Formats: sequence, structure tokens, C-alpha cells
Amino acid sequence: MRDCENIRESIGRWLDGELDAAESESITAHLASCDECRKARQQLESIQHILKTTLLAEAQQIEFLPFWRGLQLRIGHKTSWYQQALERARETFTLSRAAWLVPASIAVLLAILSLESYIPGWREGRNSFASVESIDAYGRNVALLRQNESKTTVIWLYEDQEGENETADEPAKSAPAF
Amino acid sequence: MRLLTNPPNQLRLFSLVLILAAAWVGAAEKNPHSVQVTIRTILAENKSDDYDPRLKGMEQQLKPLKYRSYRLLKAEDQNVPSKGTGSFEIPGGRSLTVAPQDFQDNRIALKVRLTERDKPVIDTTVKIPNKGNFILGGPPHEGGVLVLSISATAQ
Repeated sequence: MRDCENIRESIGRWLDGELDAAESESITAHLASCDECRKARQQLESIQHILKTTLLAEAQQIEFLPFWRGLQLRIGHKTSWYQQALERARETFTLSRAAWLVPASIAVLLAILSLESYIPGWREGRNSFASVESIDAYGRNVALLRQNESKTTVIWLYEDQEGENETADEPAKSAPAF
Repeated sequence: MRLLTNPPNQLRLFSLVLILAAAWVGAAEKNPHSVQVTIRTILAENKSDDYDPRLKGMEQQLKPLKYRSYRLLKAEDQNVPSKGTGSFEIPGGRSLTVAPQDFQDNRIALKVRLTERDKPVIDTTVKIPNKGNFILGGPPHEGGVLVLSISATAQ
């Protein structure tokens, strides 16, 4: 009896060809000698037959072509970048999460401020030149030069050519050379 | 303690701590105790093509002056108090005084005065970026001219 129960449980898989050769042979041999199990097999076969014919008949009425087209369209469809961004923003900026933006912004600001001590002048940009606020050369000529390449400011004092030099032998080239 | 388990309260506390930290950072920037002033005295001339290796890194700054030779005569640095004055001896009987005036937006205002045998040569106020420099040049010296690189670093 125990054998019959096991066999009936396996008949479905046997009919579907899912069993290995040894199991398949064992079931074939049992079915040849057991009337009850043979009846069970016939019942299963008839159920399978009915199902198959019914499904085939119904499937003919179903229009698969539009279904597949729709499916392909949906797979191939790409959402635009702004739709994706909008979706992401919606997910990110929920009320509770957005509240953290305030301290997060302060933290970023602090980080930027403290960067100055590690990378001097990075925030300066165009403001990295020295700027001359006031100048008094007591009647001497003064030239101001700003060199972009090295961000250098030069204050150059010079005298007219007839001005006095330190040594008479080698007159100083005091006039601005730039 | 229950207050601190409430997420909005945690958020407020965190913001407060950050604001205090920001205020501290801002205050730290505004009040340097002193300014380290460095003066490099360079002799620029056209007698040779020698470039003093001790002036390595200053090539770009000296390039527009168009002299052929540059020699470092003297380098001196002093820690000058925020409202104090530093005095530097410059070759040729000259003297340079540097007085930090103000520190704002990471820029140091320096009042600079060059005198020659006690007579004023130039008075100027220059704002330079922290750790930056400017060049004051032109006084004749030994057949060339003096070039002073004046740099300042907030301490």
C-alpha cells in the first residue's frame, strides 16, 4: 500500500518525464502489475488531456500580438531626466528628511570655511591679489603692477633719470623695467 | 533626557551646535593674536645672469621686473602683535616698519613704511591675502635695485 501511495504521488512527474531512468522503470513495472495505480494514471492522463485541449482552444481566442507590443514598448520606454530627477526628489525630500537640510547646509558651510586653513587662498579666486589701499611716496614716482600669472602686486619706486644714484660709476637702473 | 530622544529636538540641538561652531570659526578668523611678517631683501641687477637658488619659487613673481640677476641679501621674519609694529633693517641704511592693521575676509591689512637715513621714502597700506605677499622695489643699491618681498601670515 505504501508503494502504491508513493507511485501515485510520482505519476504526475513520470507523465511529465521528470523522473530519472531507474525511477521511471520502477513505476512502469509497478503500473503493469497494479490495477489501482493504472486507474490513477489514466485519470491523470485524462485530466491533462482536458486541460491541454481547453487551454489550446482558449489561447487561440487571445490576441497576444498587441500584448507583446505593449510589453516591448514599456520595456523600451525611457523616462526623461527631469522625470527621473523629480521622482528622486520626491523620494529624497520628504518632510522629515528635508528638515535635515538645514543642519546639513550649515555643516557644508563650516567645511568650506575650515578648508581655508588647509588650502590657503582657494576661496580667494580673483581676490588673491594684494590691494594697495593708500600710498605716499613723498614726491617720488611710483608704478603699480599687477601680474596675473603669479597674482603678484608690485609697488615700484623710481626716480627721474637726472635723479641721484648711489654710485657714480655704475648708475642704477631704477626706472621701472616692466 | 526624554527631550533628546525626540528627532525634531535632536535636529534643533544639532543645528545649535553647528551654529555655535560656525560662530567660533568666524571669531577665530577675526582675531589673530599676531602676524608673522617675513621680509626678503633681494638685489636685482643686470651685471650677470645669476639667479640665487635661495629664491627658488619666486621666479614667477620676479619675472615681470625684467632684471637679469637676483640675489637674496637678507631674509628676516618677526612675529608682530596684531596692533604692534615690526621693524626691519634694510641694507643701505634703510629701515622698514610693518604694522598689521586689520584682518578681515582672510586678508591682512599692513601699514608699511620705508625710511632711508631717517627720511621717509614711502608710506603705504596694503591688504594682502593671508600667507600671501607683495613686492616693494626700486630703491637703488650697489648698482642695482632693492626688491623687498613682504609677506604676512596670521597666527
